[in-house]
Amino acid sequence: MVIQVKNLVKRYGDLVALDHLSFDVAEGEIFGLLGPNGSGKTTAINCILSLLSYDKGSVEIFGKPMRPDAYDIKRDIGVVMQNVAVFDELTVCENIDYFCGLYVPEKARRKKLVEEAISFVGLENFRSFYPKKLSGGLLRRLNIACGTAHRPKLIILDEPTVAVDPQSRNNILEGIQNLNREGATVVYTSHYMEEVEQICSRIVILDKGRVIADGTKEELKDMISLGEKITVETSLVTPEQIAALRVLPGIASAEFNDKTLVVKSEKGKSGLEEVLDFLRKQNIAFGRIYSELPTLNDVFLEITGKELRD
Amino acid sequence: MFAHIFTARLKCLLRDRGLVFWTLLFPILLALFFKMGFSNLNTADSFRPIPVAVVNDAQYRRNAPFRQALQSASEGKGRLFTLTVTTKGNADELLKENKIYGYLTAGSPVEVTVRSAGYEQSILKSFADSYLQTYSAASYLIGKNPAAAAGLAESLQSRRDFTESLPSGGGASDNTTLYFYSLVAMACLYGSFWGMKEVVDIQADLSQRAARVNVAPVHKMKVFFSGVTAVFLVNFAEILVLLVFLRFALGIGFGGKTGLVVLTALVGTVTGIFFGSFVGAAVKAGEGAKVGILIGLSMLGSALAGMMYEGIKYVIQQHAPLLGYLNPVNLVADAFYCLYSFSGYGRYALDLTILAGFILFFGAGTYLIIRRQSYASL
Repeated sequence: MVIQVKNLVKRYGDLVALDHLSFDVAEGEIFGLLGPNGSGKTTAINCILSLLSYDKGSVEIFGKPMRPDAYDIKRDIGVVMQNVAVFDELTVCENIDYFCGLYVPEKARRKKLVEEAISFVGLENFRSFYPKKLSGGLLRRLNIACGTAHRPKLIILDEPTVAVDPQSRNNILEGIQNLNREGATVVYTSHYMEEVEQICSRIVILDKGRVIADGTKEELKDMISLGEKITVETSLVTPEQIAALRVLPGIASAEFNDKTLVVKSEKGKSGLEEVLDFLRKQNIAFGRIYSELPTLNDVFLEITGKELRD
Repeated sequence: MFAHIFTARLKCLLRDRGLVFWTLLFPILLALFFKMGFSNLNTADSFRPIPVAVVNDAQYRRNAPFRQALQSASEGKGRLFTLTVTTKGNADELLKENKIYGYLTAGSPVEVTVRSAGYEQSILKSFADSYLQTYSAASYLIGKNPAAAAGLAESLQSRRDFTESLPSGGGASDNTTLYFYSLVAMACLYGSFWGMKEVVDIQADLSQRAARVNVAPVHKMKVFFSGVTAVFLVNFAEILVLLVFLRFALGIGFGGKTGLVVLTALVGTVTGIFFGSFVGAAVKAGEGAKVGILIGLSMLGSALAGMMYEGIKYVIQQHAPLLGYLNPVNLVADAFYCLYSFSGYGRYALDLTILAGFILFFGAGTYLIIRRQSYASL
């Protein structure tokens, strides 16, 4: 295991930020830590990195206990903080060189790594720019380059795409997958379920400092009782028609609100054919119709009773 | 590793235009304003001989001691009077036209004629009184013991001081120098902003950059030491530039003891940096609040050291000397003042010793606070 977290407890006065948190990260994984704001993701990362002291539990990285002075472990970790953490007075190239230099003292090797990091995040045309001249997306890329230029074995990214435009977000996510393909184990925290679904091979969902679900995205979705969600745009559906729809085989629920009919099928069932057949028989005119497979939000909703984005 | 961090920090410091302005250009501009403001102060304060007259009548011509006393008071560089020997009528005319402050008429007693009361008239009267007292005392002694006449004349001619005048530190008397010394001291204390910044950049609970440094495989005291060395180099160079500007562009005297002046600047700079690092580490508030505290403390220290009004320094020295010793700005300014004004080194050594104590206190305090390696909250 690259990371082993056991029974981690972190309290801020009466508030329990991490409540006996335990999980493992295996080598070569892109491990997603998913949870709403305030669920304890960043606190967990800071405890794992020994930035924060904790009340109970243990953290092992590369099979050794993680401590603030465990420099042999730190040498193989790259961290991309939630906020951009660079020097405004240094250029793009100088910033990457400075942070890389904290890990790689040899100048020649560092020069090569810095160049690779610049091309990796696509900042070739901005190497002599100062951070204040960069857009939000480019700044995020610089932030990633500063944290990963030294080619660490373990990369921890704490919400690296917050306030980033879609194009830069895609670049960042592709970059993370490339780092993983090149051999790095990645820990990725986010409250964007789409991102986590897109890149993570294993996901832990956190709520109130506790692990509420752990597995691959397929395993997580398999945990819930619902199947597909069918959404139909239609002007009118009577309560009697809704009641009739609910008793159809394979249909778990049906609701009509604001000219939108939402039908959820039972686990493992599609329900689309049944719904289309019902609409035709009942002469219900409809516009757009589309079906979605369960998302991680549905998983979170079913387990906690609230939306992931709340 | 030291060279890597040191070089990066040096670049950051030199490219921080705001900080360079406040720590170098602002003191230079302030010094220029001081110089402009004080340009006429010394000439206005210097003593100018008082135009007076003496009536050239028979009594004056007969009274050799009086003539001699007046002559000696009207000769040389530090003379009291610009003397006109004239008739009584002309003396009245000169007085009426305000060309003289008064005139003397020899006799028993010597008469002083003035048109109004004032500083110059008082000096003229004091001169006449002093002459009469000396003359009466001499006449009395000679009357009692005629044999003492020769010795008395010799004794009167060779005036003896009953106070000891110690040799100065080489500087001419100039009240305005203290303003410039406290300005240099304030600039030294402005190094505190940079010292504070160094701490903010290595304390993970104070900045994200520091968090990034804390997850790197480098001891943060090594990062701090490298950064502080860069800060010291830049800040000390700035203080030297300020001193050179004051000495050679504005002509401010520092007493000729160049080595000790540089030592004082060095100690002042280090005090400022560690003062800032201590405030940065000890005060649990945002960076803006820390800057505010440092500005407030350095301005208060500068004001109490005499940068706004030199008299305050003496008031504190007289009524609350402890406050003077607890004010690093005052200690640095006073050290410069000692080098300029005194030949002895007792007070200078005391100033530097207390400053060294401050460096130890602030340095040890900073170390004790920042040495912890993980935080209760971020």
